[in-house]
Parts: sequence; C-alpha cells; structure tokens
Amino acid sequence: MELIIGGAYQGKTEYAKKEHPALTWKDAGDMCEEELLAAEGILNFQNYIKKEIQEGRNPGKIGELLLQKNPDAVIVSEEVGYGVVPMNAFEREYREAVGRICTKVASGSRKVTRVICGIGTVIKSD
Amino acid sequence: MIVLVTGGSGSGKSAFAEDTVLSFGEARRIYIATMYPFDVESKKRVHRHRNMRAGKGFETVECYTNLKELLLPKDSVVLLECMSNLVANEMFQKDGAGERTVEEILEGIRDIAGYVRHLVIVTNEIFSETAIYEGETETYRKYLGEINRHLGELADEVYEVVYGIPLCVKGGSKDEKPLE
Repeated sequence: MELIIGGAYQGKTEYAKKEHPALTWKDAGDMCEEELLAAEGILNFQNYIKKEIQEGRNPGKIGELLLQKNPDAVIVSEEVGYGVVPMNAFEREYREAVGRICTKVASGSRKVTRVICGIGTVIKSD
Repeated sequence: MIVLVTGGSGSGKSAFAEDTVLSFGEARRIYIATMYPFDVESKKRVHRHRNMRAGKGFETVECYTNLKELLLPKDSVVLLECMSNLVANEMFQKDGAGERTVEEILEGIRDIAGYVRHLVIVTNEIFSETAIYEGETETYRKYLGEINRHLGELADEVYEVVYGIPLCVKGGSKDEKPLE
C-alpha cells in the first residue's frame, strides 16, 4: 500500500501518475466498496468517504479492508482536517473520518508522501 | 521537558502524545482533560479518549478554565489535551479569561512546566483552509495561533502528527531521521 496526501490543487494526482505510470487510475467518488477493493490507483479517496457517509453508510472499516484486500493499491487523498471545527455536524463527521481512515491506511503503507506545491516529500518509508 | 504535539482532525496526535508520555518511563501520570462534556458529541469524544488512555496509568484531572490555579503533583509527567478546548473554554465560558485568554493560559503553562517533570501539550492545526471567519471565531483562531507560537518557543520538542506519522518540527530526532 502506498498513500499520497496533500491539500487541494497541490499536484497530488499528477505526482501519483508520474510515480506510477503503469497503473490504471480511477476516482473514488464514483466507486462502490467492491470497486475500491479491486482498484489499482485510487484518486480522491476522501470523496469515497464523503459519499458513504452521505448515503448513510459507515466507512469506518474501509482502511482495514483496503490493507487486507487491496494491499498493492496506491491511494491519493486530500487533507481536509486543517480548519476550524465546522459548525455543520456532517462536515465534522466527514473530516474526522478522513483523518481516522487515512491514519489507518498510513499505518499499513510502506510509503507515505505529502505533496505541497507539486513537490512530494516522503514522510514514511519502510 | 516540554513537548508540543500538533496535527489536524483525526490525525492521531493524541495517540502519539500518550506514547510520548509513556516513553518517559515510570512516573505518576496526570492527564489534564479540558473538553467540557456539554452535548452527546463531546461526551462521545471524552469516552473515546478515556478508552484510549485506559490501562496506561493516567490520573485524570479536569480543568476547563484557570489552568494556573491547578495544583499537580511535583515530579509527575503531565499530558494536557487539548489547547484548542482550553482556549475555547477561556473565551466562551462564564468564568473564563475572555480577553486575557492568551496571557492566562501561557502563565498557567509556564507555572506547571516549572515544577512537573515533563509536560506534553496537545494542540490543533486549524489554520489552513479557505473559509473566512470574523468576530469571535477569528479571535479564537488568533488566540490559538498566538498560544501555539509561544508554546513552540517554550517547547524542547515540537511534532506535527500527519495520519499517525510524527514529523519533528523542533528538537528531538529532527536531525537524525533521514527520509528520502
């Protein structure tokens, strides 16, 4: 498992595709759990979490499932947890879920890269 | 020694801060709890943190405001969590410090750091987003930012925890941990 994170519009997707040109990339916002667990390159992972919560499902276990069933995936996810605690309960739940789930994914990833201004910094490498 | 731990929402900063306390070895461990359980969500949050701490030998001391009046055992290792709650309490609770929030909290921190063995402080990164705030929310951001900067100066070690990965910002193993 590999995780690539960063804020919006930082060049995460471009960085990921350049690092892994052979992978097929898909947007997680359009995926069901089954597709996610079979995907090679996963873009906008945070949108999968958002969609699941919006549709009334609990995505809490998806990090573990990915580590177990799709350990070769490369996951790109936007960091959304660096603002004032939102007034809106859904927004609070969503941003915390992204944090917890990505923490789980990061724990099982051999490599975690943070992209800022298009530049990737490896923050974990086993 | 003072260790400052920061990070975003759900980043694993609490778990790292607890590990830091444990890494100091056997000691009387005090947890300063700052979240006032005013609704279901905050009660759940308190419960989650209690479960995380269970079995790690912490004594919990509640402190919602007026940190400098708190008396802790000398020689203890203290975990204060979280500065973002403490600032909100001082600003918005009836007996809070209001406009003197920054000074009062920093005074309390300096005081505690002066007699306990180690102090680990958890704070929160809430400063990078597009939303524009005004009024008391903007003041809150300003106060917490100011406190964080002072704490960064006071601290021997500062870490930003990113999805469970501690990135050393000051002191510690900053210069020893080569990454690619």
